[in-house]
Amino acid sequence: MNAMSSRKFVMFGLAPALLIYGLFVFVPVVWSAYYGFFNWSGFGDKQYIGLANYTEIIHDSTFWHSLKNNIIFVLAAVFGQVPIALALAVILHKNTWMQRFLRSAIFLPMVMSTVVIGMVWQYIYHPQIGILNFLLDAVGLSGWKLNWLSDSGIAIYSLVPPLIWSFVGLYLIIFSSALQNIPGEIHDAAELDGAIGWRRLAYISLPIIWTTVQVAIVLCISGSLKSFDLVYIMTRGGPAHATELLATYMYNSTFTSYRYGYGSAISTMIVLISLVLIGTSQWLTSRKSRS
Amino acid sequence: MMNQTAAAGSHRQVSGISGLMGRSKSIIFWTILMVYGIFTLYPFFWLIVSAFKTNEDFYSHPFGLPAQWNIANFSRAWETAKLDTAFANSLIVSIGSLILTLFIGALASFILARFQFRLKGAVFAFFVVGMLIPIHSTLVPLFILMKQISLLNTYWALILPYTAFALPTAIFVLSAYLMSFPKEIEEASFIDGTGLWGLFFRIILPMSLPALSTVTILSFLHAWNDFSFALVFISKTSLKTLPLSIANFSDGYQTDYGLTLAAMVLSVLPTIILYLVFQEQVMKGMTAGAVKG
Repeated sequence: MNAMSSRKFVMFGLAPALLIYGLFVFVPVVWSAYYGFFNWSGFGDKQYIGLANYTEIIHDSTFWHSLKNNIIFVLAAVFGQVPIALALAVILHKNTWMQRFLRSAIFLPMVMSTVVIGMVWQYIYHPQIGILNFLLDAVGLSGWKLNWLSDSGIAIYSLVPPLIWSFVGLYLIIFSSALQNIPGEIHDAAELDGAIGWRRLAYISLPIIWTTVQVAIVLCISGSLKSFDLVYIMTRGGPAHATELLATYMYNSTFTSYRYGYGSAISTMIVLISLVLIGTSQWLTSRKSRS
Repeated sequence: MMNQTAAAGSHRQVSGISGLMGRSKSIIFWTILMVYGIFTLYPFFWLIVSAFKTNEDFYSHPFGLPAQWNIANFSRAWETAKLDTAFANSLIVSIGSLILTLFIGALASFILARFQFRLKGAVFAFFVVGMLIPIHSTLVPLFILMKQISLLNTYWALILPYTAFALPTAIFVLSAYLMSFPKEIEEASFIDGTGLWGLFFRIILPMSLPALSTVTILSFLHAWNDFSFALVFISKTSLKTLPLSIANFSDGYQTDYGLTLAAMVLSVLPTIILYLVFQEQVMKGMTAGAVKG
């Protein structure tokens, strides 16, 4: 083989991947930053308005409210999913059929469509026919019955259990395999030093798998920014923008209010915010592990 | 002698304490497990059982088993929700993007893993950055792009973005796997007179089957379950994929609960069956994909 044919092969072989990926992932990100400078209804002429969309975002309380909801989701994931998954991984460390069954069941939502998950939880929360309110009636707590998804004060928190329910399985399996990779000798040595139970977990296992926990936290953050489907299916961002996430707000601004320029500007903000969040989280977790 | 008994005594004491701790600990463990187990399993149980109920049954026995197992819900749901079309559409876009991802991804990974060239680092970095881009931030600009190249309401409007978003992870998983092969593979094949394409098709592809199966699981599930791209790029009923059809169907048949739930069960059945068969591979593949992605 000669250098020429190998060079051709390199170029020819990389071209389709670069083309498809560049055109459908990269170009849209750049373009949305560009469309953000225009006032555009999606039809007809675009009108250049400079930074007006971006300054409007800064003063748009719904945008900040959506960002706050995104952050609630991130916090729920980091302080809900991660500890629950860690606890489950510690408990479910044996390979009995019961434990295997539970592990598989907890992971199952990961392979299901979010549409179905969202609809099931919509039924669970339904004010008249939902089993949650039926359950509260049955145990004599009728006073606790709420309009779980239509009360703007609590709707965003009602979305947290389905969120945790869907993704805990992923973190469980990640932590399980990290814990299983700790060599047996380390546990034996720890036991000799009197480190058993929670003490062993805190002083021996956790530091060993800390890089895995870091990865999980970064995953939580990027994953929570992706939870468009669940919110769209369950509340459409309502009632009155109460459960709006950045992504649903972008969708609604563009396709419900026909403000393509404004929607594009929001989508640029989403990219920037997620880069900042992921960067910060990586910096924070890596700093903690060094000290 | 004295020392021995003292040692034995203290040893017994230690095991006694840890035994007691073990018992109370295992009670706590079991409580956590039971609560989480019910929280996890009940929605599945409820979905499947309620799909057999009549509306009346649905109201009067929300927790119980159906008074009669109403199998007709499923055949009725299959027809009224036009699930055959939705299944066919989902299969076409999932398999289409899967084949593209596997072929294009494997080819690019082969080159990135086994060749030396200028800009190799830059190409790698380009793909890695893609994994940090939130998929939904591209919905609006992609919609505009699809409209301009008139791909809206075609299978390509889904196949191409699914492929594009599956590629970074695919390239990550595949090139890491290919880098672990010894250099002799290429040398042996050059002596045999196989060209680069022959090497790729006859040696590299078969050898990377384990990594390809990981990519298959990730990319197929992503395409099969995607909702947002279908929601934005597809409005023609005859092209709607399963998640989109189910979401629209439930809007229309809000009050026929058994029917809606039966359609939901039918739509998740294929992935659940695949998962039950290939459980270990799916769990491993999805965690590997997530951690590397």
